[in-house]
Amino acid sequence: MGDQEQVNILMVDDQPGKLLTYEAILNELGENLIKARSGKEALDHLLRTDIAVVLMDVSMPELDGFELADMIRQHPRFQKIAIIFISAVHLTDLDRLNAYQRGAVDYISVPVVPELLRAKVRVFADLHRKTHQLEMLNRDLRTLSARLLATQDEERRRIARDLHDSIGPLIAALSMNNGMLAQQTKKLGAEVAEVLQQNNQLVEQLSKQTRTISHLLHPPLLDEIGLLPAIKMFAEGFAERSSVKVDVELSPEIGRLPPNVEISVFRVVQECLTNVYRHSGSKTAYIKIAPAQEKLLTVQVCDEGKGMPRTNGAAASPGSNHGVGLSGMRERLRELGGTLEIKSSDKGTTVIAAVPVNKPMVKSV
Amino acid sequence: MRTRFLIVDDSELVRKSLRTVLQANPDWEICGEAADGESAVELFKELHPNVVILDFQMPGINGIETASRMSQIAPAVPIVLFTQHASPDLERHAREAGIRSVVSKTNAFPMVGMIEALLGPTNTEWGAGGSAGSTKDLAD
Repeated sequence: MGDQEQVNILMVDDQPGKLLTYEAILNELGENLIKARSGKEALDHLLRTDIAVVLMDVSMPELDGFELADMIRQHPRFQKIAIIFISAVHLTDLDRLNAYQRGAVDYISVPVVPELLRAKVRVFADLHRKTHQLEMLNRDLRTLSARLLATQDEERRRIARDLHDSIGPLIAALSMNNGMLAQQTKKLGAEVAEVLQQNNQLVEQLSKQTRTISHLLHPPLLDEIGLLPAIKMFAEGFAERSSVKVDVELSPEIGRLPPNVEISVFRVVQECLTNVYRHSGSKTAYIKIAPAQEKLLTVQVCDEGKGMPRTNGAAASPGSNHGVGLSGMRERLRELGGTLEIKSSDKGTTVIAAVPVNKPMVKSV
Repeated sequence: MRTRFLIVDDSELVRKSLRTVLQANPDWEICGEAADGESAVELFKELHPNVVILDFQMPGINGIETASRMSQIAPAVPIVLFTQHASPDLERHAREAGIRSVVSKTNAFPMVGMIEALLGPTNTEWGAGGSAGSTKDLAD
């Protein structure tokens, strides 16, 4: 077994002798073996322990194997458990079918060949262990990616703030000094006045570029006056830079939302518009943010572009920027308990994000 | 009587430049400076300035919040928002907070003319109610 974590194997039979036989056969797997003398006892174990494989006799008094299997399958938590039936009777194809329809993974007839039983149980024990490991890794990955997104937001906010605090005042001071000089143009020669004029234009360019960088990193209006003005301002800037005509429809009753919701919704819209510009070829985009129902917000971004390339599965191919952007959006929404839906055809793409919010919003009529 | 300005900006450099620009007019003087909104409101109450030049993004309360507190105290005193983030939406919020004018920090050149227009022949004394009258301002 080595360092592998043990999984639990539940053996159910009303005859103690058989349980001992199974135990002897399976002992060498090094897993944790649990014995139950009845269906009821088996259910008790199932409720208390994470079971990987259930090995059970079909014919038992009171609750028989088939009934027990039905009960197990009805419970969502138990749906992944591998059930192996062992039976000395009920050996027709119909019996086997009955077992498989109840979700059994195997149906073994008596006399049991020890090596075969051991090999079969080992396969399902390993599968369970690997599934469990995958689930843990997936959970870790999600936590990591949520943390990465949060760190990225925080870092962008910090750089934008640094730009604002360090370069912003320098530009403002330069602009004011130039203004002072401009009032004295009569005293300056024509050449100097010309240079001053150029300087003014340079300061304006410098300020515009700094402002664009800072706004793309973190929209300043988001923290100060909220999501809707920030989206509007971003859409205006985007339209100007990209020549994509952007229509914006925002329901004012949404008001202020928690900071993590505001930044996530903003980033989703930002990502969508970036995709419109980079991939869709659309000359128009439409953003709508409105309450869908009480405590649920929908964010919709549509374009009239060529649609997204068809790929296997819902997300675009891994490795493409498109795919990273989409999975980033999905992760952000998952963190908020929301969903992302994408409708794409050769007439255009619509991205709809649903975001739960913790305050009642009256739907606009 | 000279016009008294209160300058509010978290950057010392910006305050210094503002001082230079405003003091070029012999009828204008700087009566106080603050680096954040809360202390600006205190100085506002204490110094009774005729005009406030106010930054938007500052530590603590922002310029809009600062302006609305000042407007509650003395609504006739013109407040000019001096910001890197001038936009129509910000202007709308500014107007609601009682701000008369929004001037972009990155193009500060028209500010002096705008302040002159704001002051105009109207009464911006403390205790005077109502708007500043026929100036070219956001309330139009």
